[in-house]
Amino acid sequence: MTLPWEPVLRAFHRGLLRGASLLVPGKQRAEWSQEWQSELWYVCRECTPAGGISWSGEREATAFCLGAYQDASYLRRHAWQERPPLAAWRGSPAQCILLLFAVLAASYGAALLLPGVRTERHLSGYSAYAGLVLIQDARDQSHGSPTISPQQFRAWTGSRQRFFDRFAFYRVTQETVSPSLAGQSSWGVARASSNLFALLDLPLRCTAPAGGVDGNLPRVVLSDAVWKSQFNGNPNVAGRVVNVGSRKAKIAGVAPEGSWRLPGKVDAWLLEPKSEMASDGMGYVVAHLTSSGKSEMWAPRVQITAYKPDDSEDDLLGVSLDEGMPPPWAVFLFAVLLAFLAVPATTSVSMGDYSVNSQKLPRSRKLCRWGFLSAKIALLLPIAYFASLDLAYSCMTVYSPSSMYIHWASSFSICLFGLRWALQDQQQRCPVCLRLVVHPARVGLASRTFLAWNGTELMCLGGHTLLHIPGLPTSWFSTQRWLYLDPSWGFLFPGSSAGTKEEMATGFSPH
Amino acid sequence: MASEARLSHTAALILQAVDAGFVYGFSIMEMTGLPSGTVYPAMRRLERDELIRSQWERQSIADAAQRPARKYYKLTTLGKTTLDASRKRYPLLERLIPSEEPRSV
Repeated sequence: MTLPWEPVLRAFHRGLLRGASLLVPGKQRAEWSQEWQSELWYVCRECTPAGGISWSGEREATAFCLGAYQDASYLRRHAWQERPPLAAWRGSPAQCILLLFAVLAASYGAALLLPGVRTERHLSGYSAYAGLVLIQDARDQSHGSPTISPQQFRAWTGSRQRFFDRFAFYRVTQETVSPSLAGQSSWGVARASSNLFALLDLPLRCTAPAGGVDGNLPRVVLSDAVWKSQFNGNPNVAGRVVNVGSRKAKIAGVAPEGSWRLPGKVDAWLLEPKSEMASDGMGYVVAHLTSSGKSEMWAPRVQITAYKPDDSEDDLLGVSLDEGMPPPWAVFLFAVLLAFLAVPATTSVSMGDYSVNSQKLPRSRKLCRWGFLSAKIALLLPIAYFASLDLAYSCMTVYSPSSMYIHWASSFSICLFGLRWALQDQQQRCPVCLRLVVHPARVGLASRTFLAWNGTELMCLGGHTLLHIPGLPTSWFSTQRWLYLDPSWGFLFPGSSAGTKEEMATGFSPH
Repeated sequence: MASEARLSHTAALILQAVDAGFVYGFSIMEMTGLPSGTVYPAMRRLERDELIRSQWERQSIADAAQRPARKYYKLTTLGKTTLDASRKRYPLLERLIPSEEPRSV
């Protein structure tokens, strides 16, 4: 066995050493790789015969190479023990990103706990009361009291309408309900036409599977509060029979929290067929507009004239239930857009890159720098979204106009100040290692200098850059500038590779 | 002295080998019989504690001899003091690796 094996074995040993060198911390890798490779040459010379190979010698060389892994393991452990103290962690880009993640987690967690946000999630995609009108007597200007009789409702549903295609009626009464064998309680019950929820297009929760509710009994829909207090939030509540007044009814489902925005405080809705509805008392009528009705509905309130069978007129008022509120995400996007437009007016967007500077950053460093800024902004946006939702729903449980304004204002403020912070933070970070520059030093006195420069100088602890911020912006020095340090500054930063090409090209400072 | 108190038998052996003129990694391994995974970390610790210092051979010398440049190790003053103290603690140290004239480098 002679020469053909030799290059293979040498390559094998070099590969082993290369693998070991990859385990060594980056700063020491080149030095150790060189020492091992050099020593391997001497090991081979001592242990293997010239111009040939011996298995014992190759074993020796392989053992030497495997020993390099123990060296690397030691060096890695040593580097971990000698890792920079907590002070060096301060101002690092990793610290900034972790802090943003923590704030994001906190704001998201708070959003999960707020009942209003949960409701919004349940109703996502649901356009609240779009195309619906509450019809009431014109003499009653507030839509708080019931003014429509069941007879009027029947008359309208029985005749062809030009502006409305569907009607629903409900009347709120106080009823004694026995939800369990244990006892009775008094609920505000809306005795409604069976199409009420279909008209409102409200998504019910905890519904029975298809065919699960007996068609002979009227259906009852529970409010979220009653479901939680009387039925302990039991998800299998659908199908249970309760006594509502003198009638038996089967539970059909639960209305989502905050979804009921019509007049009357309601604990449950008893959905009855038109034929079984009582004829006494006054109630509310909700109507769905046809396309021509929508075009006539030019204001939130419009006068409606209804003709009775005897050709007399009823003066009615149609109050639009369509709150016309954009969904929270649309409000947020609008706030973000405005914040992006407002940022340049409130803070300098210059990163301090000076075109006359002779030293240019390598492309990879530039990409890192812009990537870091993008990451900060990308984390800021969800923070602003969830934090503004938290504020909007902190004292309201439904998405009302008030909460929409709070949501918009807080989104805009958080985005604007967040973007300002992101830019200002970026301006204070060394372009090479992205650490915050420290140790501000005043240079010059504005009162004593005329043409000389005065301002503040900050330094990167890694020894890469100095940041000069002018005290009085002038035509020749209007914004901050970065001064890249060459290796001659290295003596000021022991342990760092200040301004070396390797540092500029590859990585972060040793701190 | 803190370094003296910490000096293990292995470290003392390596110091003795360096003092005896075995001034690079492989020769120390050969002389002491310690594997590379022990010798190099130990030498790195000794260097960190400033008991030895290392220096790369000039590339021109290595090129002239048609071999790769080597890293040589040398005792510092503190290293010599520590070794003297270790010899008292490990009397067999000098018998195991007798001091000799430094090898030509």
